[in-house]
Amino acid sequence: MASVASARWLRVSCGLCVPLTARRAGACGRTPSSRFYSGSAAVPKVEGADVAGTEEIVIPKKKTWDKVAVLQALASTVHRDTTAVPYAFQDDPYLIPTSSVESHSFLLAKKSGENAAKFIINSYPKYFLKDIAEPHIPCLMPEYFEPQIEEISEAALQERIKLKKVKASVDIFDQLLQAGTTVSLETTNSLLDLLCYYGNQEPSTNYNFQQQEQSEELEEGEEGDNVKSKKKAGHQLGVTWRAKNHAERIFALMPEKNAHSYCTMIRGMVKHRAHTQALSLYTELLNNRLRADVHTFNSLIEATALVANAKFEEKWKNILDLLKQMVAQNVKPNLQTFNTILKCLRRFYAFGKLPALQTFREMKAIGIEPSLATYHHIIQLFYQHESPSKGSSLIIYDIMDEITGKKFSPKDPDDDMFFQSAMRVCSSLRDLELAYQVHGLLNTGDNRKFIGPDHRRNFYYSKFFSLLCLMEQIDVTLKWYKDLIPSVFFPHSQTLIDLLQALDVANRLEMIPQIWKDSKEYGHTFRSDLKEEILMLMARDQHPPELQAAFADCAADIKSTYESQDARQTASEWPANSLNYIAILFLRAGRTQEAWKMLGLFRKHNKIPRNELLNEFMDSAKASSSPAQAIEVIKLANSFSLPICEGLTQRLIADFTLSQEQKEALGDLTALTSDSDSESDSDTSEDK
Amino acid sequence: MFSRVSAVLPFRPLSQLPLCSAGPEASAAIVVPLASSHGTVRTKSNSQRYFGTNSVICSKKDDKSVPACEISKETENQQSIKENKKKDLVNIIKGMKVELSTVNVQTTKPPNRGQLKSLEAAIGRLQKSPEDAPRKSKSLNPELVAAAAAVADSLPFDKQTTKSELLRQLRQHEEDSKAQKDGEKPKISFSNIISDMKVARSSTARASTQPVHQIQFDEGADDFVDQEKMADLRKSFRKNIYKGKRLNIFELKAVTEEAPETEAAPSLWDVEFAKQLAAVTEQPFQNAFEEMIQWTKEGKLWEFPVNNEAGFDDDGSEFHEHIFLDKYLEGFPKQGPIRHFMELVTCGLSKNPYLSVKQKVEHIEWFRNYFNEKQDILKESGIHFS
Repeated sequence: MASVASARWLRVSCGLCVPLTARRAGACGRTPSSRFYSGSAAVPKVEGADVAGTEEIVIPKKKTWDKVAVLQALASTVHRDTTAVPYAFQDDPYLIPTSSVESHSFLLAKKSGENAAKFIINSYPKYFLKDIAEPHIPCLMPEYFEPQIEEISEAALQERIKLKKVKASVDIFDQLLQAGTTVSLETTNSLLDLLCYYGNQEPSTNYNFQQQEQSEELEEGEEGDNVKSKKKAGHQLGVTWRAKNHAERIFALMPEKNAHSYCTMIRGMVKHRAHTQALSLYTELLNNRLRADVHTFNSLIEATALVANAKFEEKWKNILDLLKQMVAQNVKPNLQTFNTILKCLRRFYAFGKLPALQTFREMKAIGIEPSLATYHHIIQLFYQHESPSKGSSLIIYDIMDEITGKKFSPKDPDDDMFFQSAMRVCSSLRDLELAYQVHGLLNTGDNRKFIGPDHRRNFYYSKFFSLLCLMEQIDVTLKWYKDLIPSVFFPHSQTLIDLLQALDVANRLEMIPQIWKDSKEYGHTFRSDLKEEILMLMARDQHPPELQAAFADCAADIKSTYESQDARQTASEWPANSLNYIAILFLRAGRTQEAWKMLGLFRKHNKIPRNELLNEFMDSAKASSSPAQAIEVIKLANSFSLPICEGLTQRLIADFTLSQEQKEALGDLTALTSDSDSESDSDTSEDK
Repeated sequence: MFSRVSAVLPFRPLSQLPLCSAGPEASAAIVVPLASSHGTVRTKSNSQRYFGTNSVICSKKDDKSVPACEISKETENQQSIKENKKKDLVNIIKGMKVELSTVNVQTTKPPNRGQLKSLEAAIGRLQKSPEDAPRKSKSLNPELVAAAAAVADSLPFDKQTTKSELLRQLRQHEEDSKAQKDGEKPKISFSNIISDMKVARSSTARASTQPVHQIQFDEGADDFVDQEKMADLRKSFRKNIYKGKRLNIFELKAVTEEAPETEAAPSLWDVEFAKQLAAVTEQPFQNAFEEMIQWTKEGKLWEFPVNNEAGFDDDGSEFHEHIFLDKYLEGFPKQGPIRHFMELVTCGLSKNPYLSVKQKVEHIEWFRNYFNEKQDILKESGIHFS
């Protein structure tokens, strides 16, 4: 108000301002002549003054900012810290998660803590009456879930419906009917809404955290994008529509029914998987000359596609019929209509491809903007098989060309599935360019919000990073590695193995100790496949001494993890390969002492050392000119009755000067072998 | 679309040749069939009746399409009526297309059979024509007359291309007609086609924009669809997904036009759907500011920018209304102790952040009433209060 008033005043007093504005205008100019003008501004002849006089000063209106505008501006200045874990995990340093499992339980713990607090507050509101906050903060106060109206009336019924008390509202409704009161159509309809939405069951209250956790666990259980298992999980949790339930009873009791009553019944039936009933109720609706709304049609399309024992062609024909009825009843289709069709067509496998394309073009043609879920369904339909060999379609290129650079807003509950499925296709097509395109789209605007819950994010980034490891130059891959891990996701052990293989291909094995350090941090200390891969890569070739030393350190570290594993659980075993590799690495780094200890481990765990390893031990014994060690090696080989034993003995005699005792010891050893081995062997050795 | 329709006329003579040699002459077109009809109609009365007892839709077809053709011939001479209503025209075209195919396809067959068929067809038509002829002007829909005139007008142009197009169409229909040669079958399928057309006809708006698609769609016999499906599928792999056949069920106009929102309060379904949508983009916070945004939305945080009006909602009144309260002192004396007192009151009020503007004004009003009540005391002590 003030600004408006002052603006008016200024406009009126504009004439007064003239000299001032003119002078100001003059002062702006740099040339001396303009300065001269400013001096003579009082002279009415001056052109500048005339211009200023006609000009109107427009004072900008007072801008009212959104209450979060400042925060949004600030938030946009903060970028992801690639060296830290995501903000959500930043808490007590001790609690910061370092692996995907930990991060998951961290988030669950946080959420369940909130839920538990809410549960307590809402269960015992009488203990939380003190309102400390000034000004009052409603969301911190207990919510009242108990109905306030005690008497039997329609108002009481409405209140219970509002509080989503399914059973209580049904009771009140029955009592009202018994008392002879007629309940208005509107109230009955909202009661039907309640019953149909929740399938005649009490809704799981949002502070019932145990159930939520359970459902999350189930989701986590299905790794990747296994739709079927998820559906199954949904079925287990969901409620099925029972015949003669309250909704049907009340629906039958209603003296007059309008379209809404029918629609909500149909939607409820479809939601709770009573597809045939829904379709027959639709016929009834038509017989009563009522019109279904668009949501009901969407449900009916779903029901048609899910009806058992029908051929794909037949189902598709029925869906088309429904669409034609929509036109006939003058019902406008919406995005959900088409997304439902596409989602249902996914169940038709190859048959669904052409109808899906037609559906997609139809929605384009009538100007309904597809959402990410639309593209997700199409991609799922066209890339149902992982194998890229099967003449895979190129449809994803069209899609990506179309939507690159677009910013999306949530329109469909399935919108958050797109990036995961797109990246899956990129990975199966082995197309890095496409993957970059998808990733670019993810980082456009606020699109990153569509990446979905934790496990989908992990899936997406694992696929993306594995593709990078496979196709990209190692330097770029390592850059991505630094960028994404751990600030975006924690790698699976398979992801790290992919990275190791990429390092191997690019001959950058010197990175391995670093990778081992990281993988320890990300909770893969006890992944034996990862450890074996690391050891194998390190032990495969000879390297310069510094690198060998680093590798030996790494090997010692890995060895210690095996040992601690031993302590934790007795069942676990040392794999023979790891023992071999570690021993070799020690030998090459000149840490003979530890290497000899490794030999003891072979015996302890009853694993057979490889021939190359034994040869290397002989080399090392020779280098330190210690025949005793050499004899040790032979003893070990002997105890496993290895065929190489013979050769080793000969090497020993050829390479070393043996003392008498040692010769005797060797004699004993060979005598020992003679018991088990053939006589001729022992004879020859004894002769010498 | 024009071409295909106008091609009716060049081919008509063919179908009528077996009947009468004078057929092609347009000027005699009406008279000759009439004359010849008496003989043929009687001889073939059986088949004629057969046509008559055909399905309702079939006879409907005759009603519409046959007169149109007759008229178009007639108007060839007259060419007086001119009408360019595109919409009507397309309707007629659709009607004529089927009629045309039934007649012409038969002419391409072996002569003896074809003759028989064409006779039948012609008779079916001729049977009507004597009835129609006398009351032509009355019985016909004026719109039909107008549209037919338009067809006739368009005829002189590009006869050749229309001919070739028509031939192509005939070839497409050849397979159908083979199956339809004997007995009942063709009639059923025709009636099917016609019933299909009835659906199409209602959607006139699109018909005018994409008639070619529409007509092809109508033609789609069962075996033909399969081939097309496969071809389309193969094409779709290479071609852009955005270009190609669509369902052709909805119309752009119907969807985009805004229907008046009669929505009452959102139902439980709507509320829950909105919640679901909100959950889609729910992500852990990226930084502390995002967390603060969330808190602000939940009402747990002071709203930014934090100033001395934060959280103070006084019906949108501005600060100056709180501070400059002198304008409410008009009824008070200009000087003297009361004035002095009241100025102190307003000064105090202007510094009070807890009262709303309304409360402040009420406060001043209370003093006005108070002093008014104490008028006599004031007068005694010599203070004037207006």
